[in-house]
This record gives sequence, C-alpha cells and structure tokens, in this order.
Amino acid sequence: MSIFEGILTGFQVALSLKGLSFVFIGVVTGTIIGMIPGLGPITAIAVMIPITYGMDPALALLLMAGVYYGSAYGGAASSILLNAPGESMAVPTTFDGYPLAKQGKAGKALAIAALASFTGGTISVILLTLFAPFLAKVAISFGPAEYFALMLMGLMTVASFSSGSTIKALISATVGFIIATIGIDSQTGTARFTFGNINLMEGIDFLVIALGLFALAEVTSLIRERKERSMFDSEFGSMKLSKAEVKELSVPVTRQSLLGFIIGVLPGAGGTIASFLGYITEKKLSKKPEEFGKGSIVGLAAPESANNSASSGAFVPLLSLGIPGSGTTAVMLGALIVLGVQPGPLMISDHPDIFWGVIASMYIGNVILLILNLPLIPYISKLLKVPKPMLISLVIMFCIIGVYGISFRTFDLFLLVIFGIIGYFMARMNFPAAPMLLAFILGGMMERSLRQALTISDGSLLIFVQKPISATLLAIAFLSFIVPLLKTWRKRKSDGDAEETDSQAS
Amino acid sequence: MINTMNKKMGIILAVISAIYLYFSFTLPEYPYVPVDSDAVPIVLGFILLFLSVLLYFSKSEESEEEKLPKGEGKVILAVLGFVLMFILLLEPLGFVLTTFLFISINSRFLGYKKWVSNIIVSLALPLSIYFLFVSFLKIQLPSGILPF
Repeated sequence: MSIFEGILTGFQVALSLKGLSFVFIGVVTGTIIGMIPGLGPITAIAVMIPITYGMDPALALLLMAGVYYGSAYGGAASSILLNAPGESMAVPTTFDGYPLAKQGKAGKALAIAALASFTGGTISVILLTLFAPFLAKVAISFGPAEYFALMLMGLMTVASFSSGSTIKALISATVGFIIATIGIDSQTGTARFTFGNINLMEGIDFLVIALGLFALAEVTSLIRERKERSMFDSEFGSMKLSKAEVKELSVPVTRQSLLGFIIGVLPGAGGTIASFLGYITEKKLSKKPEEFGKGSIVGLAAPESANNSASSGAFVPLLSLGIPGSGTTAVMLGALIVLGVQPGPLMISDHPDIFWGVIASMYIGNVILLILNLPLIPYISKLLKVPKPMLISLVIMFCIIGVYGISFRTFDLFLLVIFGIIGYFMARMNFPAAPMLLAFILGGMMERSLRQALTISDGSLLIFVQKPISATLLAIAFLSFIVPLLKTWRKRKSDGDAEETDSQAS
Repeated sequence: MINTMNKKMGIILAVISAIYLYFSFTLPEYPYVPVDSDAVPIVLGFILLFLSVLLYFSKSEESEEEKLPKGEGKVILAVLGFVLMFILLLEPLGFVLTTFLFISINSRFLGYKKWVSNIIVSLALPLSIYFLFVSFLKIQLPSGILPF
C-alpha cells in the first residue's frame, strides 16, 4: 500500500460522523484533564484506556489522538490562564502566556497557542508520514541484539536528560525495571517475586503505575493547595489575530516546528527540551528580545509549536520501532497494546490500515483541536472554577475507576495506592517518575530481546559488540550514562567550578 | 546536614537491592535455557546496589526536602484513609453508593461547604458514570447492595 492510499484509508474512518465525534469527545475530555494543574497527557491517556476497552480499535485510536492533543492544549491553557503549568513541557508557555493573559489578552494568547500547536503538530505529522515507513524498513533487519541496544540507549538518554540528578533518574529507571520482573517469566514459566500471590502472577498492570505515580501522587499537591483560589476572572478579550501578527509568527513557528520534530525523534529528548530550546533560540534570533517574558507573542508561540511538534515526532520511534522514547509515548504504547495494536516495523506491512489509521487520526485530532476546541475554550476554562476539594475527590475517583475498569480487582487498587505513596515520596525527594514508568514498560521487552540475543549467540555477550548497529547504540548508551556522572564527579572535585558546570547542565 | 537525605535514601535502596538480590538468587533453576530467569534480576539488583552506593556518596545539589506545613500531613493521611475505605467498600457496597459516600465526605472534609451542590454532584456523577459504563461501554462495575 502506498503512502497515499494508506492515508486515504485512514481518513475514510476518521472523517465519518462517528469518527469525527469521537475525536471531538477526546479533544474536549483531554483539554479538561490537561487543564487540571498537575495532570498531563500521561494521566489523560491512562484514564481513557478502560473506556476504549472493547471499542472498535479505529475509533478508539481517534479518541486517543484527540485526548493526546487535547491534554497538551489543556496544559497550555492552564499555563496561560493560571500561570500553572501542568507539567515541565508547558513551563515556557507561562513565560509570555501568563503576562498576555494579565494584560487582558487571554483570548489572543489561547488562539496563538492553538495555532502554534496546530502548525507544529501538522508539520510534524507530515514528516512522520514520510519518515516512519522509511525507518520501519531499516528496522525490519533489526535482530534482538539491536533492539536491546536501542531500548537501552533510549532509557539511558531519558535518564540523563531528565531534570535533576542523573543518579536519581537512573535509580528510578532501575526500580522501574525491577518492578517489571515481577510475575511469571515468559521463557521459563518461573514465578518471580510473586510470593505465592496469584494477583501478581501476570505482573503489575502499567495503568496502576502510570495513574499511581502521576495522577494519585499529584493529588497530594492539590490537597496542599486546596485553599488557594487561583481562579481566572479577568477579561478573555478577542481571539482574533491581526495580519501583521500572523506574519510575525509565521517564520518562528515554522522553524520551531521543524526543530521540534527532530528533537522529538531522538530518544530521550522530548517535549520539555524542545519547548525550552524553542523559547531560548527564538529569544536569541528575535529583533525584539526585550519583549520576551513580558507578553511576546513569538515567545508564546515558539515553545508551543516546538513541544507539539516534538510530541508527534516521538511517534516516529514508537510506530516504526515499537519503542517509546518518553513517559507519554510509553503510556500511548500501553493504550495501543490494550487495543490490540502492536506498533513496530511489521505494523506498516501487516496492518497498514491501523498504521495509517493512527496517522490519520493525528491529522484529524489537530484539525478538530483548532476548529472545534478553540471556540469552546472560554467555556471549558469555566471548569477551572470547580472548587479544589471537589476536584480532588473527582481525580481520585477517576484513578480508581481507571484501574478497576481494566482489572476488576481490588488488589490492583491497593497497588495503585502504594504507587501513589511511592510517587509522592519520589516527588518530594526529587526522583523523576518518567524514567520509572518508561523502564517498567521497556523492561519486559528488553529482557526478552536480551535473552533472545543470548540464545542466538549461545550465551556469548560478544553478540552485542560484533554487530555494528548494536555496538554503536550501546556506545551512545554508555556515553550518556558516563558523561553526566563524570560531570558530577568533576564538580565534587572542584567545588569552585560548581556554578559553571551547573549552567552548562541546564 | 545537606547530605543526610542522600545518605538515608542510599541506605534504604541498598537494603532493597540486597533483599531483591536474595530473592533473585533463590529463584528455582530451569536447566533448558542458556539464560535463566534469575539472570536479569541479579544484574538489576547489582546495578541498584551500585547506584545506591553512588547516591550515598553524592553531594546533593538540590535543596533538602521541604517540610510539610503543620497539620497537612494529617490531612493527607486522612484522605488516604478515605481512599482505603473507598477501595474496601467498593465491592460489598457497590460503585454508586461507595462513590457517593467518598465524594461527599472527602469534599466536605477538605473544605467544600455547600451541602446541596455537594450531594447533587456526588449522586449524579457516580450514577451517570455507572450507567455509561454498564450500558454503553459494557463494563460491569460492582452493583453491590443496590438493585440495578
């Protein structure tokens, strides 16, 4: 099936009345969840998984694409309106978005954010359409050794790129991997670390971990802020942009969309790096850098198009290799697997309808976000007025339904609470949660390919260095692990240089 | 004082990795594969042990964990208690009734004072979710003591 035919088939599903309404429902739900401070795409996708369970996969994918884009936009909206970024990726959006809202230009800021996200998302999906089949063709020759090396590299780069201490990120990833070893070993049938509990035989469901570490842990900070009345009550203002403004935005937005895509494709680097980098580069290139931070429209648009583009770019390794490169794509992978879709190099040749369905739903998700969600955003943001105590109860309830709707076991609900508590302490001690989730999802796959590779080589570890691709990938993985450690070591040696290395690291 | 948190966590993680290693070494053997089921856990256990030693000796560049404001710890523990009750009662009492109790009590406890709207939300929401799941999505939530 050619690219063109594939896309057409995908659009046929997406453009039916049913398809469109599912994207729309997804976009609105995603926007609402993303707007709640602290809850981002990971929670939004995780909560929606039980709802899509048993649905027609094509429609469920449309719903998920909507949720995905909606939640990113919802995060931008709460950054602009409340100065409360839902997650690190949306932080640069507050730099200029919130000042604009304070000037009474909230409507305009929301419109710019939507337009920038739309452009970033669309350019990125076009590049994804061209790029993913190509990468899948390359990946078809990959054996288990190459896969193992690739996943290890992805995990290492995520750990070393995550904010804060690299050691803590690596610990987080190792613990995630350890949790993945719980359950029956698929190769030998040995029950590992189940302690005779039948509920642990199949291992822990990734939803339990995603909702526990991200949503439930975030509830505690909502509880602490429950008395703050961070409501948005100034004027929305017009949502229209002038021709001059569109012209001013066009070049930076296009540039950041392209840059964001490249950053998104690279494993490890994701939306956060893209949006900060986008903000910094546009400030450097701008003729009016003094406006940045005071309500510059370019300063708002640049990180928005960059992070949306990076988020779609992250779908390249997910769809063509079957390997998620970030916490968000890891949950997306989980969602796809629940739907019976196994991304990977064989997906394009074996299930072209599903592959192109995913791509088409991304196109449609973007369009719906712009033309249907944008006019509704003043009304949706009224939901921010839901009192915090009620909001907290509802978030907890949705976490519980999310897990129960998939497993139907109260045992998993207790596990959910345990992971909520772990997530709470991790956040307080600055251990990043994303590497743990990613390592948990990659863990099972990594162990399988490691053991397959060693079966092929009859137990010799040389197989990983004899193959050029796997050797290169492992070298990168090793470097991304060793370089940050050397940096901290050097810092310890010469405390006087601490500030310098710090600024380099950030 | 700056290092105490890293040291404490380093020790806790080292203990965890030791326990994990112990269970990994006692996994039953399966002779017919080149790599047995204990290989990966053993490697992981040693990696975690190594990292916890690194953490123990690393200087933290971040500030110490912030203290919770007075009484907040108790509030969080109380909510945790409500959540555990929610889970325990979910199957015996049923989804609608338990969720109603949870939302109304938890929201009131956290400072939501409007009784009427509280009752309306905490009744209407579980009811609509229940029917959405059971009749539209065909996902059976526990009905408990209620007849439907």
